[in-house]
Amino acid sequence: MLPAGVGPMAYIIAEPCIGTKDTACVDVCPVDCIHPAKGRTYDDGRPTFDEVPQLYIDPTECIDCGACVPVCPVTAIFPLDDLPEKWHAYVETNKNYVDGGRFQPGKYQKAST
Amino acid sequence: MFASALRSAHMSTLREVIHESVREGELYEKLDRNWVRCFACGHCCKIPDGQPGVCKVRYNRGGTLYVPWGYVGGIQCDPIEKKPFFHAHPGALAYSFGMLGCDLHCSYCQNWVTSQALRDPAAVVGPMRVTPAELVLDAIRQGGRVIVSTYNEPLITSEWALAVFKEARAAGLVTGFVSNGNGTPKVLEYVRPWVDLYKVDLKSFDDRHYRQLGGRLQPILDTIKRLHEMGFWLEIVTLVIPGFNDSDDELTRLAEFLAGVSSDIPWHVTAFHKDYKMTDPENTCAETLMRAAEIGKRAGLRYVYAGNLPGMVGDWENTRCPNCQELLIERYGYLITGYFLAPQGCCPSCGASIPGQWDPAFRQQITARPFVPLMRSQSDLLVLDS
Repeated sequence: MLPAGVGPMAYIIAEPCIGTKDTACVDVCPVDCIHPAKGRTYDDGRPTFDEVPQLYIDPTECIDCGACVPVCPVTAIFPLDDLPEKWHAYVETNKNYVDGGRFQPGKYQKAST
Repeated sequence: MFASALRSAHMSTLREVIHESVREGELYEKLDRNWVRCFACGHCCKIPDGQPGVCKVRYNRGGTLYVPWGYVGGIQCDPIEKKPFFHAHPGALAYSFGMLGCDLHCSYCQNWVTSQALRDPAAVVGPMRVTPAELVLDAIRQGGRVIVSTYNEPLITSEWALAVFKEARAAGLVTGFVSNGNGTPKVLEYVRPWVDLYKVDLKSFDDRHYRQLGGRLQPILDTIKRLHEMGFWLEIVTLVIPGFNDSDDELTRLAEFLAGVSSDIPWHVTAFHKDYKMTDPENTCAETLMRAAEIGKRAGLRYVYAGNLPGMVGDWENTRCPNCQELLIERYGYLITGYFLAPQGCCPSCGASIPGQWDPAFRQQITARPFVPLMRSQSDLLVLDS
């Protein structure tokens, strides 16, 4: 079972990214929603590239295009529906990075269809 | 297992056709490490060697960007009012052609069979190989005076559209794009000399909604401003979806944006019917559509139309003179039931000039296709009756 309230998350970066942080995904992302980008600092105080073990996808910015998936050299990126069960904790990990460890569920309520 | 094998067989065949029907694109730049950057749409994809862009039909092979060429995924000749253009050559037949693929993935797409052909195995369509000259000949044979790139997103197949439009211009046809408006300055400059009419589907005024559909709001707003400044004949359509984009607040902000670009831009608010993966919202009722139209008028837009519900939206299908309220063009669905506009697009009563691309005289309307939209409820009733 996936954690509750993760509906709007399209893609998740999982364990294989740890220690790899290749950044091909950052280069192909058309909306710059994969963080932290190399050399970028963030106003909200999030850790920068050198301070994190892996990369994260911001679900509020992601447009669900999938461009990042095939370029990952270690197959770390999965559509939410295809995320292997052993890595389900990475859903929370991705959200937590974006919110600086203070995950705000309301932020992920994309307008309903 | 069998079904998934069938699906993958279909996808691979389609991919093969797509990969054979290509040529080098013109809307891209080469980067280092054999990467390229494509400018055909607002995504401006940076594409590594061996990968496609977000649209899935423009792809990088060995540092060269290959783009769709030499086929169509669908063709049809309809009244231009169906596109919808209401201020351009009223009554003319518009010959529509499309290729495959889209840079967005709207869950309510009504052309998903072609737009999502490379993403969704359920979208099955057989491309046909053609030359631009053959397409133009067919358009003329069917009585088309206008030729339109539509069904899939025309921006991502701009190179092919221009090849067709160059032939079409030589044959005296008017040309047009029916687009989601996710453009770039470069692609608009590229198509400007060859595209007369441009329709943008402005789907929402909320960036979160656009991200759900696979895009962003800002490049689309920028494109609308540029299209107007660059002198394309521009009309905007918004499919009004209950619960998705029909709040007074969102429609007001959208209409005010358009009026800020120009109060002369025609705005079509059209009724949603359940399609593709969006089957939860109710179909749009006439009251909602007329509320949207009222909002457009209040925002200062002078030409607002309610579409897809013929005969149910009062005066909102007609064109009236904004100066003296004289009835200029009366419509029922795509059918013109009265044409009173003076030559050169002037009001016969007060002489006001109505913006648009008008013919010297109305040439009547002929079509083999129906003049009203296909409505699900009607076809359901027919089934029940039989």
